[in-house]
Amino acid sequence: MSGALTWVRQDMRRVIAALVGIVLAVLMLPPLWILLQDSVTTTNAIGDVTGFTAGHFAKLFTDKDALRSIWNSLVFAGGSTVLSLVAGGVLAWLVERTNAPFKILAYLATIVSLGTPYILHVIAWLFLLGKVGPLNDIYRSVTGGTDSLFNVNSMAGMILIEGFLWSPLVFLLLGSTFRAANADMEEAARMSGATVLQTLRRVSLPLAMPAILALALFVFIRAIGGFEVPALVGMPGRIYVLTTDVYEATIVVPPDLGYAAAFSVVMVLIVAVLLYFYSRLSKNAEKYHSVTGKGFRPRPFDLGKGRWIAGAMIVANFCVVLLLPMITLLWMALLPFLRSFSLAALPMLSLKNFRTVFTAPGYVELATNSLLVAAAAATFIMAITALAGWIAARRGPGGWLLDQLATLSLVFPGICLGVAVMEVYLRVPLPIYGSLWIIAIAYVIRFMPYGMRYVYSGVLQLHHELEEAAGVAGASSLTTLRRIVAPLLSPAIVAGWLFIFLVANKELAIAVLLASPGSQVIAVSIFDQWVNGQGGELAAFGLIWTVLMTAIACLFFVQGRRGGTDVFGN
Amino acid sequence: MDFCVSRGVPVKALVALLLLLAGSVRAATFDPALIEAATKEGSAVWYTSLIVDQIVRPMATAFEARFPAIKVRYARASNTDNTVKLLNEGRARRVQADVIDVTSGIHSLVEAGLLAAYRPRVAEHYPPVLKDPAGYWTGTNLYFEAVAYNTNLVKEPPRSFADLLDSKWKGKMAWTSELAVQGPPGFIYNVLTTMGEEKGMAYLRGLAAQLPAGIAASPRAVLDQVISGEHALGLMMFNHHAAISIGKGAPIKMANIEPLVGVFSIVAIMKDAPHPNAARLLTEFILSDEGQKVMADNDYLPADPDVPARIPELRPDAGHFQANYIAPDISRDGLAKWTAIYHEVFR
Repeated sequence: MSGALTWVRQDMRRVIAALVGIVLAVLMLPPLWILLQDSVTTTNAIGDVTGFTAGHFAKLFTDKDALRSIWNSLVFAGGSTVLSLVAGGVLAWLVERTNAPFKILAYLATIVSLGTPYILHVIAWLFLLGKVGPLNDIYRSVTGGTDSLFNVNSMAGMILIEGFLWSPLVFLLLGSTFRAANADMEEAARMSGATVLQTLRRVSLPLAMPAILALALFVFIRAIGGFEVPALVGMPGRIYVLTTDVYEATIVVPPDLGYAAAFSVVMVLIVAVLLYFYSRLSKNAEKYHSVTGKGFRPRPFDLGKGRWIAGAMIVANFCVVLLLPMITLLWMALLPFLRSFSLAALPMLSLKNFRTVFTAPGYVELATNSLLVAAAAATFIMAITALAGWIAARRGPGGWLLDQLATLSLVFPGICLGVAVMEVYLRVPLPIYGSLWIIAIAYVIRFMPYGMRYVYSGVLQLHHELEEAAGVAGASSLTTLRRIVAPLLSPAIVAGWLFIFLVANKELAIAVLLASPGSQVIAVSIFDQWVNGQGGELAAFGLIWTVLMTAIACLFFVQGRRGGTDVFGN
Repeated sequence: MDFCVSRGVPVKALVALLLLLAGSVRAATFDPALIEAATKEGSAVWYTSLIVDQIVRPMATAFEARFPAIKVRYARASNTDNTVKLLNEGRARRVQADVIDVTSGIHSLVEAGLLAAYRPRVAEHYPPVLKDPAGYWTGTNLYFEAVAYNTNLVKEPPRSFADLLDSKWKGKMAWTSELAVQGPPGFIYNVLTTMGEEKGMAYLRGLAAQLPAGIAASPRAVLDQVISGEHALGLMMFNHHAAISIGKGAPIKMANIEPLVGVFSIVAIMKDAPHPNAARLLTEFILSDEGQKVMADNDYLPADPDVPARIPELRPDAGHFQANYIAPDISRDGLAKWTAIYHEVFR
């Protein structure tokens, strides 16, 4: 009897792992199967499989421009990863570990930029850096010439915009790492006479290295699979990357899904390899654990006079990430059509676009649907990944497999995932297709990797001596999970939930494909306006939506502080 | 009625009179048996690629006002997305849509055997180019594309295709990179048919050397970049988009280099439509003079030759321009070729 009880106790983790594995497999594998099938088959007019072919892969590897596109992809992804890590990382360190002023601006910039539809950021940036944007305008008025200082449709422009799109995420994730770092080691370094920079280089950075590498990997993969920036910024300048090649295959009617699927399969393989090396790398993760049973809250560095330089950097980031794009959007929203910043345009400013948005019918239903689906998806994802991430980071039974399963969808191009989900659930004899559920399921699949990253890096920080202590004291795996791990992880879980909630409301490709008359969401409407070139209305609507999303984000921030749970830190 | 002579009013009055006449001559009569059967079905599901705010919702509202017992439920997506959705639904035998509209790609649905042949009575007088000989589709509204230019940047606009090769336009032109008939492939078709294969290809190579920027967005978004001054010329710009923006004071004009490219949206009925009668009634309504007036009132160009556009000059008849129509059967046979030429010459 007691033997059985011990078995259950010891193997509870195995049971949990198995259950989580089954849920993940049911969700993630069928779309992958469809993807694999699409990549090696030919179809007839209605889409029935008619035979096998290696042609899609052959095309991917022999296309005359493929090599150039691959090279461009690597430069683009590498460059934007480095930029976002430097920008977001420096900011996170300044905010979490020093006494720099204006910290609230960093949170504000992050919260708001997470709530802003992605495409709006890109449009605002394109305008800011474009030929008629203020930057080149000022340059021309200074030099008196007609040339531009900066061509935004270049690799540099792409990296700049993509890098700053990802820096808020880096800030959030590295922020929690720096916040949770063990202050003892830094304290010891400083007592031994190390300067702030030396401490940073020799202690703080090495300690955060697993989290930084994990993030770098994550951003790199996302940037390789990123589409908006290469399409809107790169293509006009004839800079093609893998995703824009695939995009061209998916916009013909009917789309060449086989080629797009072959591309996805290659990407899934690359990511699997990267994850494998990453997991080997983190085998020695023990030495990085810094949330132990001992002191928890670190004390901030005193930067002395340097704190004003740090403050200036925070303000600069605030301007670049939030203020300038928002002013641009406001400018666009107030004008009947887009033109450059000038006094001459002032008489044209009006609130007409805002009025149109508020009086257009149907927005309440759209907003309700969107919030509902995003909240459902975020809740489900965090429930699953809290378990999966814990098991994976602790290298529990099947941990590597769970990580792989949860991360699978990271590299699906939007339309491929949308089509795969559609095909799977059209075959399921439940009334899922054509309802809001199918969008929720697609979001769960799409954003599972985000939840996984949040929890994974959160768990890496926890020293397992805490869990061992619980075990020694007689707690079962479940009790340990519930009483020790979950509370310590809750900042990561809440932050992950919020992040998924916000990005799910921005997702375009999937929602457009899966929405039916009864299940329209906001993203579809945004897409409509973009297609129709109602830039002013889009900007107005985007700003209103951003305010709403920011309000929700702030709500959690306040709630988190009151309840003693950290959302964004502090 | 006030006929006082001031600019614009006589035209408006004339239009109003014409509408009145048209209405009295053929106030759309719909088959009572069809109305009854459709009413029993209660709703029609419309997969559309038209813009919801601008035309889908007004059209649905007008239909529901005429037939209060029948609800129109619509979902919007691009041509590509709609085609993918319909093919998948068809293969799974779970067709949700009754009525669909697209501007390109209808042939893949015809070939998949998903459409029902139906010849709407109200479209009997439509020009043959707007109707499928086999009865699978009918044109609902027209689009015409030419060159738009920014009046602040361009004092002497191009007047011919040859003018576009002037070195002063190098790096100053933009068009959409969407490879549909309303994008570069349509331009390529237009050049090849008006100049002939050999001259046409030489011309296209010359144009490619001018480095037109391919914008990964709709022609409408490209026009906005011409308005903002990002580009001086926009190729393959819709003339009704330009007219709407000019009405708001945007610094652009159309240069009608002839022939203009003519494309049109088409409506079709699904063979396995869950509400087949409502599908027919909605199709009849969209193509009737009532539905076509909804098009005109919302700045779309009616396909019905008897219903005038709000700005009549946007159509070839009143605008006195030549149009080279790219009907669905032309694009079915040629789109792949034009796309290949785009890849070869312009990338």
